[in-house]
Amino acid sequence: MNIRWDAVVDPAAVESSRAPPALPHPIIDRNSTDIRVRVQLFGALAALSSQRSFELVLSAGAFVADVIAILGERLGEIFSAQVVDADGVKRRHCRLFVAGYPIENLQTPLYPISDLTEIDIILLIAPEGG
Amino acid sequence: MNMFSPHQFKAAAQEDVWLPSSCALCYSTCSILAHRVDGTVIKIEGNPDSAVGKGRLCGKGVSGIMTHYDPNRLRYPMRRTNPKKGLHEDPGWKRISWTEALDEIAEVLRKVRADDPRKLVVQRTTTVTASRVPLHAFASAFGTPNFSVSGGGQHCGNGAHLISGIMHASWSIVPDFEYCNYAIFFGASKGHSAGHASCSNMGKAADARVRGMKMVVVDPLCNFAAAKATEWVPLRVGTDAALALGMCNVMVNELGVYDGPYLQAKTNAPYLIGPDKLYVRHPQSKMPLVWDRRSGSARPYNDVSAADMALEGEFTVDGVPCRPAFHCLREHLRKFSPDWTENISGIAAATVRRLANEFATEARIGSTIVVDGVTLPYRPVAAIAFRGAQGHKNSVYNFYAVDLLNHLVGAADVVGGCLGFNPTSHGHPETGKVRYIPTAGPDGLMVVGSWMGYHYPYPPPEPRLPKNLGLQDLLVIGMTSPFLDSVDREEMWEKFDVPYRPEVMINFGANLVMSIANKDAVAESLSKYKFIVSFDLFLTETSNFVDIILPDCSYLQSLDARSNFPFIFSLPGGLGEWCWPIRQPVLPSDGEQRQFAEVLLEIADRVGFRADLNAAYNAWLNLEPPYRLTGDTRYSYEEISDRELKNNFGAERGLDWFKQNGIIKWKKKPEEVYWRPFVDVRVPIYWEFLKPIGDKIAAIAEPRGFKIPLEYYDPLPDFLPCRSHCCNKKDFDFYGFYYRDVVHTNSFTMENPWLDEAARLDPFSYTIAINRAEAATRGFTDGQRVWVESESGRKVKGRLKLTECIHPEGLGFAAMCGHWTDGQPIAKGKGVFYNDLLELDFEHMSPVNINLDLCVKVRVTPAEESP
Repeated sequence: MNIRWDAVVDPAAVESSRAPPALPHPIIDRNSTDIRVRVQLFGALAALSSQRSFELVLSAGAFVADVIAILGERLGEIFSAQVVDADGVKRRHCRLFVAGYPIENLQTPLYPISDLTEIDIILLIAPEGG
Repeated sequence: MNMFSPHQFKAAAQEDVWLPSSCALCYSTCSILAHRVDGTVIKIEGNPDSAVGKGRLCGKGVSGIMTHYDPNRLRYPMRRTNPKKGLHEDPGWKRISWTEALDEIAEVLRKVRADDPRKLVVQRTTTVTASRVPLHAFASAFGTPNFSVSGGGQHCGNGAHLISGIMHASWSIVPDFEYCNYAIFFGASKGHSAGHASCSNMGKAADARVRGMKMVVVDPLCNFAAAKATEWVPLRVGTDAALALGMCNVMVNELGVYDGPYLQAKTNAPYLIGPDKLYVRHPQSKMPLVWDRRSGSARPYNDVSAADMALEGEFTVDGVPCRPAFHCLREHLRKFSPDWTENISGIAAATVRRLANEFATEARIGSTIVVDGVTLPYRPVAAIAFRGAQGHKNSVYNFYAVDLLNHLVGAADVVGGCLGFNPTSHGHPETGKVRYIPTAGPDGLMVVGSWMGYHYPYPPPEPRLPKNLGLQDLLVIGMTSPFLDSVDREEMWEKFDVPYRPEVMINFGANLVMSIANKDAVAESLSKYKFIVSFDLFLTETSNFVDIILPDCSYLQSLDARSNFPFIFSLPGGLGEWCWPIRQPVLPSDGEQRQFAEVLLEIADRVGFRADLNAAYNAWLNLEPPYRLTGDTRYSYEEISDRELKNNFGAERGLDWFKQNGIIKWKKKPEEVYWRPFVDVRVPIYWEFLKPIGDKIAAIAEPRGFKIPLEYYDPLPDFLPCRSHCCNKKDFDFYGFYYRDVVHTNSFTMENPWLDEAARLDPFSYTIAINRAEAATRGFTDGQRVWVESESGRKVKGRLKLTECIHPEGLGFAAMCGHWTDGQPIAKGKGVFYNDLLELDFEHMSPVNINLDLCVKVRVTPAEESP
């Protein structure tokens, strides 16, 4: 009997089709509407200017992409080109961590919390052979 | 100081212990048990508790004692006193202290980092897999994108890993040895020699052969795999694509056999292709269109049930004539007739038809099987390839064509088929780490879930005016690059206005002079560096260009928390267990040896970029709170290792736990191993993305006088000849090629006396294999000393070994012998240095993945008999 490839399994029934475990959700400060972040640049990005640490204040509803946009305005195209591609998608070898957790999608929301939200950004080496 | 002081080991004297650790005689990194008696390791065996090797250990692994205890090991730092660098210049080594060495290195690095960090090139051997993260982290933190792995990648990975990644989300491919009934190997020795998951695969392959798996080996030489195969099919060197495409043609156009449902559901076969060879896209969403047979209209692929997608037919969409990609492929294949294949590859047309028929029949298209209670597609055939098939100018198409065989019959990552290893992990049951799964990227095509670096095989980045010395940001399909050392590198950097030049190199264990191509080209490149520092076990031919040599610890003296990770590298494929071993020191350092990873941390402290290095480790190791490294805290490598282990396996399973237990393992699930039905991704049987990449590269390169041969960027594979296939010079009638000897790893193990003895007993390891009948017609005799000369006049000398087990036009060399350094007296003068025949320029590499072309048309002439 010739069984269709896409009829062999029900994707919804298996673990691999499910979303990965969610990252810990920050404890939101209900009294604040501002989001305060501290961005630290490492490696090649840190050499772009004399300043490698930035404290920013964003309005509620901001996304990680907004942080990148502000830094792009301050540091120029040379920063933006290394962090995002022409479509605004984060480059794979640019690793970005919010509160210590990796972020791939720049549309990840930021939240007002009682303390600064730490954002680390570093460019890693792309190629590897062997 | 070394993190493991000698007194710790003295306390263990009079013990008789077996300690779990990891081998490092090749990059398979099999799990071992080291038997230490009174402070001396007297034996090394495989660790039966580990899935990596399963207790088996090859001859190289058991011989590791001799590498460790070699009296020629480096024991203290040295600095050259002769400023002149050259292949035969004596550096005039002078012993210096670690303080002197690190002071000078730090000063050099501080200056270059302040000037332009990209002037630093970081370079490592691939033999020690776990060296990847410390060196990548160091380079990332320093701020240089210029990283290389010597001959690694340029000889194999740029092709094998690229296509395995695009089509199987894995570094390499193997047959599913537990269930495969018919495997065809193209220039691969998986399961029969060195290579990824070597010992594990050897056991699996042996069991498969006992079970009755038919194994066909297509190779110019009948050696490690072919000697154990059911059938050896000798082919003309470098013509693998011709045979594979000939077989595809027979299957599709003569037999009419292909797995339609697979092609519909799991590939881009139904995507409509326009006259410009590109997808026909939805005007708004830009999604590729398919022809929906149910509605009789073109619709985005993600809006149509796979069963309704047309695989063939001529359609018109908004006035544009178009056909499904499979239709284009089927038409394209017609030109690769069995007679054409015979003409190119030398394999009889009848054999091409028979092999295709056997492969198609054994595939059992449409069948299923239940594994551990899960119903899965069953396709017990596999076509695999590795170094031999892809080490050519036609690297991409050779490998792509071989893998098409699998995809035409749906034998990709299903039971019995061709497996990537291990593309999908659901993580440890208690922590969910490490978890990765391929995802659907642009146009629904698969993006790997795990990779060795961040240069993912798909989607390729946009080509741009290059800033990297290797030009991978222009030639974006390439991974590691010959342009760091090629004779045309300066010309290229000038053409593209690369605004800096390499000045400083940190090398870990690579012998670049021998492992890339001809020694003169590499030597010229190395001599241009202002400063080279190298971590080594021994002096090598490359040491002559080094300013400061640092004595590294051997693997028996070293710590690595991830000796076998990523799992896509050397963890065996197929069912079984996930397994995370560590490497731990079982012996103290000798003299002033120090493990390179610890030294790199100290250099970062001295130069003043520890905070960057901590951030880089966080990123490379994916450390999450509370295990992230913070600020510029001076963690030891042991502390970093401890954090990584706890991050992945829980607070109770840190380094101490692993030192005691050696490994952690857990059972693989069928839906991890045979993941393809469970993950909604497609793979390209039509590489539509290649054409625009080629066009964009050409648009940047050609105005600057760099011609891009766009025939290599066509979406469908072809046979495009190597330089050797076009050589008509009189008397140049052999195709020289090299193979990886089973008893040696690259140029590294030649110094090991046990392996040298084994190689001297082997009639082929140190000789040049030539077809007995062809030798007779030329009057050559067994053992005769000959010159082998390339078209461009490069010459190597060696002794012939006459054999029936080589293609009549082939001339086979075991790789990377022929050392000449006094620093390795066992290795010196043994075997033939094949790489010295290789040219190192754009004309001798794949224009797509910048893999070197490793075959050379040669002339063989008698040589004098003097030693």
